[in-house]
Amino acid sequence: MNMRIYINGIGVVGGFGSGVKALLTCLEKGAAPLKGHDTGYGPAFLADTAPLDAFVQKRSLRRIDHFSQMAILGAYLALQDAGMHSLNGKGTGLVVCSGYGASHTTFSFLDSIINDGDACASPTLFSNSVQNSAAGHISILLELAGPCLTVSQFEMSVPSALLSACLWLNENRVDQVLFGAVDEYSDVLYYCLQRFFGKNVNGIITPLSTDMQSAIPGEGSAFFLLSNERTDSSKYGSIIDVQTGRLDDKGISSSEGSIFILGADGHKNCDRLYGDFIPPGAEAACYSPIYGSLPIGPAFDLVIAAISMREGKVFASPESVTDQEKYKIVRETSRVTPKSIRCVKLAKEDEFGIITLAYG
Amino acid sequence: MNRNSPVAITGIGCLSAAGMSLKENMTFLFSGKRHASPPERFTSSHPLHYPVFEILKDSFPGNNPEYKDILRTCRLGLAAANEALQDAGLVPEGITGLKVGVCIGTTVGSTMTDEEFYRNFRSGLRPDMRMIERFLRSNPASVIAREFAFKGPSQTVVNACSSGTDAIGIGTSWIRSGMCDIVIAGGADELCRVTYNGFISLMITDDSPCRPFDRDRKGLNLGEGAAILILESDRVLRNREKPARAFVLGYGSACDGYHLTAPSPEGKGLRNALTDALLESGKTAGDIAFINAHGTATKDNDRTEAMVLREILPGVPFFSTKGYTGHTLGAAGAIEAAFTVACLESGMIPANAGFSEPDPELGVSPVKDITGISGKVALSDSLAFGGYNAALVLGLERG
Repeated sequence: MNMRIYINGIGVVGGFGSGVKALLTCLEKGAAPLKGHDTGYGPAFLADTAPLDAFVQKRSLRRIDHFSQMAILGAYLALQDAGMHSLNGKGTGLVVCSGYGASHTTFSFLDSIINDGDACASPTLFSNSVQNSAAGHISILLELAGPCLTVSQFEMSVPSALLSACLWLNENRVDQVLFGAVDEYSDVLYYCLQRFFGKNVNGIITPLSTDMQSAIPGEGSAFFLLSNERTDSSKYGSIIDVQTGRLDDKGISSSEGSIFILGADGHKNCDRLYGDFIPPGAEAACYSPIYGSLPIGPAFDLVIAAISMREGKVFASPESVTDQEKYKIVRETSRVTPKSIRCVKLAKEDEFGIITLAYG
Repeated sequence: MNRNSPVAITGIGCLSAAGMSLKENMTFLFSGKRHASPPERFTSSHPLHYPVFEILKDSFPGNNPEYKDILRTCRLGLAAANEALQDAGLVPEGITGLKVGVCIGTTVGSTMTDEEFYRNFRSGLRPDMRMIERFLRSNPASVIAREFAFKGPSQTVVNACSSGTDAIGIGTSWIRSGMCDIVIAGGADELCRVTYNGFISLMITDDSPCRPFDRDRKGLNLGEGAAILILESDRVLRNREKPARAFVLGYGSACDGYHLTAPSPEGKGLRNALTDALLESGKTAGDIAFINAHGTATKDNDRTEAMVLREILPGVPFFSTKGYTGHTLGAAGAIEAAFTVACLESGMIPANAGFSEPDPELGVSPVKDITGISGKVALSDSLAFGGYNAALVLGLERG
């Protein structure tokens, strides 16, 4: 599908802080992978939604859970970054995706049933546990009236949902799309991670290792204000292709002058797939040690690709990223202008997502 | 990309408490019968027994031991997909070279709500991880893509109760854009104790069989089921020399921006969704033979929906089929789209089960009896939590 979708604003929240500047600071520090916050189960990259106070009155947030608050903060930061205070209600589409949804709230709802009985289930927790609650809250706060979509496709949530956002723009269904991704930490998910894969003993993610499981849960949100019209705030380059589905034997094609950002996040069974499918000799970076392991990781990769376009530089991968024989890991931050940046996410059963960003 | 191009529907599969195939469902709808009873697959400590519309037959494709590692939602989806592919005359092995996408709406199928696992986790026991593995293998769109070895895009739409309608609308865009040759689009949802408790907690569940649009309506009954529509590009259709059953002519989606669990009293989002769907289809209110309404039987939904239908589509006969199937949540929009096509084909619409007394506040009433229709275009709409609204315009002919 031919497209040129401009990124006019970005809002991002994660264990690294909130806002593009916070993420840029981490990227510029270069080599150091982040250590996560201590959760009692082990380290995790947790997001702080306190900056939301600058955008929304506390009173309006009192019945809104952490999951939705992360999404709302991401959405407001994207608007702020685009130099906007509000959106054209009907002309703006809203697309939100999540791998696991409001999992903490879902389990809290189960708590209300288990603790107090079926007849005392909490209606507030139930309504916030519904998968599209974050998008619902955003649409209310921003007074949106256009089409609205929430997608949950596990690790492929971001490319799958972005595909629909871009289609809405291509078919002129809307003038702009507020597109975002959000996932939250929960103790249950961490417990599952450790039961399946064991504990991360090093406390840092070492992606692309084929023999060591090192995933550390992350949480956060990344939002993008997208349009097919270039504006003064179109400084992040443009999305020129989104693909998702199942890979065939041909793998991923190489494109001269392009670099890859790999969505490897310390899950060894998935990380080893990159060695099978990334073209030999390609240049690739990987940044999950900065934001953590979470299904919507590709949204953070897209933010980093967009920052690279804006800054005109490719950032060094954190030093914990494992070197590869078949392709070259970007080790130093350099002022280069790649023809395009391709954010690649691979998952089991040959599922893939590729988002390509280009200058202009 | 032409947003107004009709997209062919070549096959339909559907199962619900009203029947195990689309044909069985339609026979049941026109029989005027309905079976709502307290849930049999799970127990509840509620003092009142809220009825549900449950699929009690276990014999459907996809519900055998081979599929024990996926959620019931996915098994329902696979059964509907099998019927739809067969109806379309498509053999999965014969279309692997084509770009085949899967777009499925759900609610339960995307939420980790295994109570047994969580109770054990809370108690500090070592819960059985097979339940989590099963959840992780049960993304509804991925399950269908995996089962039939489709390599195109997969998308599980979680727009709450409008998910099925939206999945068909999005699948239509995938065909129009040329991104896919064929799209397996629809919705699937199973009855679940957690959701059952959730809806009761919101006090929008009726303790007797639901009465959509009736003066004395008290709320919804949950149901379960799945429906799949096979959407095909003109190029594939020409090569196969297969006539279309019907066409998706228009799709509209809009949010209220009002409340998380109640529709906008002014019906802002529904009005926008209906208007957009009609605009995209190139049809006017006068072209619409009937409306398969969302009609959940909650006070708020039916009030808002009736007001908007009265305004945008005055005089057009409408009905809700939730009195036969219950509210199947993420599957509802797809099941109702399937019923809409089948009603257009048969030239008649069923009675709105559960309706007996007109509500003066609504100013309009659904059809009370089986009614003949003459047009070739109809509309199906959905309202959802989050303030989501969606509508499809479906027709027997392209134009």
